[in-house]
Amino acid sequence: MSRLKIKKGYNIRIAGLPADEIKVGQVPSRISIQPNAFKSTKPKLLVKEGDSVQIGSPLFFDKNNPKVNWASPGGGVIKSIQFGPRRVIENIIIELDRDEKYIVGQSFQADSISTLGKEIVLDKILDASLFPMIRQRPFNKIPNPIQSPDAIFISGLNTAPLSVDLNIALSTRLESFQAGIDALSQLTTGKLHLTLPVESVLSEIKNCVINTISGPHPAGNVGIQIHHTSPLKPGKIIWTINAQHVATIGDLFLTGSFNPQMVATIAGPMVNDPTHIASRIGCSIQSLLHKQLKNGFSRIISGDVLTGTESSIDGFMGFYDSSITVIAETDEREFLGWLKPGSSKTRYTLTNAYFKNGNRNFSFSSGLNGGIRALVPIDAWENVLPMDIMPIALFRSIIAKDLEEMEQLGIIECDPEDFALCSFACPSKIELSEVIQDGLDLIEADG
Amino acid sequence: MKVLRNLMDKMAPVFEEGGKLEKLYPLWEAVDVGVYNTNKKTKQAPHIRDSVDIKRVMILVVFALLPLYIFGAINIGVQGSIAQNMTRSWNENLWIGLQQILPIFVVTFLTGGFWEVLFASIRKHDVNEGFFVTGFLIPLIVPATIPLWQVAVATTFGVVIGKEIFGGTGYNIFNPALTARAFIFFAYPGAISGDKVWVSGVDGYSGATGLSIPAAIEGGNAKQLLDSFTQFDFSWWNMFIGWIPGSIGETSKILILLGAGFLILTKVASWRIMVGGVIGLFSTAWLTNGLAKYSTNTMLSLPAEYHLVMGGFLFGIVFMATDPVSASQTNKGRWIYGILIGVMTIIIRSINPAYPEGTMLAILFMNAFSPLIDYFIIKGNINKRMARYAK
Repeated sequence: MSRLKIKKGYNIRIAGLPADEIKVGQVPSRISIQPNAFKSTKPKLLVKEGDSVQIGSPLFFDKNNPKVNWASPGGGVIKSIQFGPRRVIENIIIELDRDEKYIVGQSFQADSISTLGKEIVLDKILDASLFPMIRQRPFNKIPNPIQSPDAIFISGLNTAPLSVDLNIALSTRLESFQAGIDALSQLTTGKLHLTLPVESVLSEIKNCVINTISGPHPAGNVGIQIHHTSPLKPGKIIWTINAQHVATIGDLFLTGSFNPQMVATIAGPMVNDPTHIASRIGCSIQSLLHKQLKNGFSRIISGDVLTGTESSIDGFMGFYDSSITVIAETDEREFLGWLKPGSSKTRYTLTNAYFKNGNRNFSFSSGLNGGIRALVPIDAWENVLPMDIMPIALFRSIIAKDLEEMEQLGIIECDPEDFALCSFACPSKIELSEVIQDGLDLIEADG
Repeated sequence: MKVLRNLMDKMAPVFEEGGKLEKLYPLWEAVDVGVYNTNKKTKQAPHIRDSVDIKRVMILVVFALLPLYIFGAINIGVQGSIAQNMTRSWNENLWIGLQQILPIFVVTFLTGGFWEVLFASIRKHDVNEGFFVTGFLIPLIVPATIPLWQVAVATTFGVVIGKEIFGGTGYNIFNPALTARAFIFFAYPGAISGDKVWVSGVDGYSGATGLSIPAAIEGGNAKQLLDSFTQFDFSWWNMFIGWIPGSIGETSKILILLGAGFLILTKVASWRIMVGGVIGLFSTAWLTNGLAKYSTNTMLSLPAEYHLVMGGFLFGIVFMATDPVSASQTNKGRWIYGILIGVMTIIIRSINPAYPEGTMLAILFMNAFSPLIDYFIIKGNINKRMARYAK
């Protein structure tokens, strides 16, 4: 076990913090899964519009990896399948039945799960079509189930702005979580690392190596935890899985079926009563944000403000996401705004670092807050990147498409989510996390 | 302010694509976002951005420079009155100084602005804020008596050769303001030479700079020579406060230190470069002090704390060497870069007989070497990683 202290980084003080209670919102009538959102896969449909499905029925599979199926997160009728350009499958929408049916498979005693053996565990997860919950580093994609990971990492804390507090979300699911750890720990020949905050409801979990981490965001990012505990190198593969999905896997072993329930947050400056809310995988945003949107033009994001994807009130929560964040879309132009060292709305890098302004939270909007310029290296990136990576040198090597230098500078240890704060803090408004993704794509394509 | 915004919105189509003046779009864009913050939005994650942008970074440097402008203006008047043996009020001194500074300032901005807009129009990018700081720096590093045409030529050289031919702000190798000064220094040594100072308001009145006094005499004691100099008051405290003749903005060391504190607090300038520079200066000066008894070179005996407050060293290390683009861009590299500037300054001041002042040349020299320093620092990071990968 290791104790990590992260110094670099920043907790963005954005308004609309979710309350600590779990509210029950409107019951959704529809849910969805977005096949196109899974990187490096070739989805092939197993269902068509009008088919009836149960929770856990396979909806589509990956042509590159035919063993990997995706389970239906709801029971009902396939309402529509939406295609995008070049017939990529964008959205499978399921109209839910009043009482949904589950596919029920074999269940196990809690104390027997840790002795099942790798083959049974892997087959169970693949058969239940829940394997896509697991992702691998490098590249943050769904792994090839045949490859054995060198380690498994699970982050037991979310530090991203307005994200779910896992102590709240998991305090009632400890048995499921333990069962999930028992199962997953058998998938690797190495260790299963669970990284926790100093105070966590998960600190009594067994069958894993427990590390603690403290510090500002991105301390909760699994990429940062890997980097400081067991850093990646060429040929090394690490699997990761979201903490709430560990409990889902645990439920699969304990009950034999897929439990799509989870806790999400609805938060941000444009939400009336930001709170934790009982939700489910792929939940419709309409049902979560029912009567919660403030007046005004807003941007609805599935996920957190740093890494989420733009959606709409008619959209659905992404497969790996557990928050819906709403910020204002603004067209306002401040008169001579650049003369002020900070602004009343948002400030971090310059003045805010020293003049704390109490504990005010700021109503961030979608404004870029400046023009795009060439890089002026005043350490804005380095101050929020707690990794032994030289971001400027790496950035330049990616722009130059120099594959060899990118690898030497450690691109495979990087993931865009760890660089999101760099984009946030950059005075030149350079999209560093996008550039990192480009670099990873180049390396992945090169093999 | 609604009226102005509406008026500007009406004018916008003239400059946009297909408009009559579309070639001047960069100029229009600069004015537009100068008056009102941009309303550009994020297109992808992260969906929110900090309110810092290059404009705010640059304006903070200007805030740090403004006290030097005011002190510089008063000091021009004060030096003139001392030379003419008269007493004037602060206001009169300030007014006389402003009459000298404002034309230099206006010429710098007109010339530099012209080149910025021209390059932005041809290369079709936004007008960059980088010149904003360069334009504020150039008047501070020239003597008040400089002919205005030389300011124009030097600004042109600094902006075009020092920056634009490399691709503009962010791509330059040398600090543009310092390039401009180096140009006058070598092309028109009659106006700015480093061994003589001129006092404004009195024709042809000039005197030795503090640094040139020990440099000119062999086998003396530098501190005694300075203390016994009568034309100007070269005591340590007076040089620290700044009531001495010199380039407009570099005389008041105390205000420069205040500016340095501001830039470090706001994280605009690297404290590593500044501290490194002072360390390099002190240690090399102590070394030359130790060697002074073996040589007839008087400069070798000048105490380190005098080196600190004399000439343009503090101004250079605080405002010039910390230019983030032309300086070293890695933290370890910044230490090396800063220390070597301090070392080089003393070497040029003490050992090179040609130039009594060495800060400008030291910074330009290290500007040229900063990519090499960074190369080795990055190589070190790579080697460490490769060793781990090989395990």
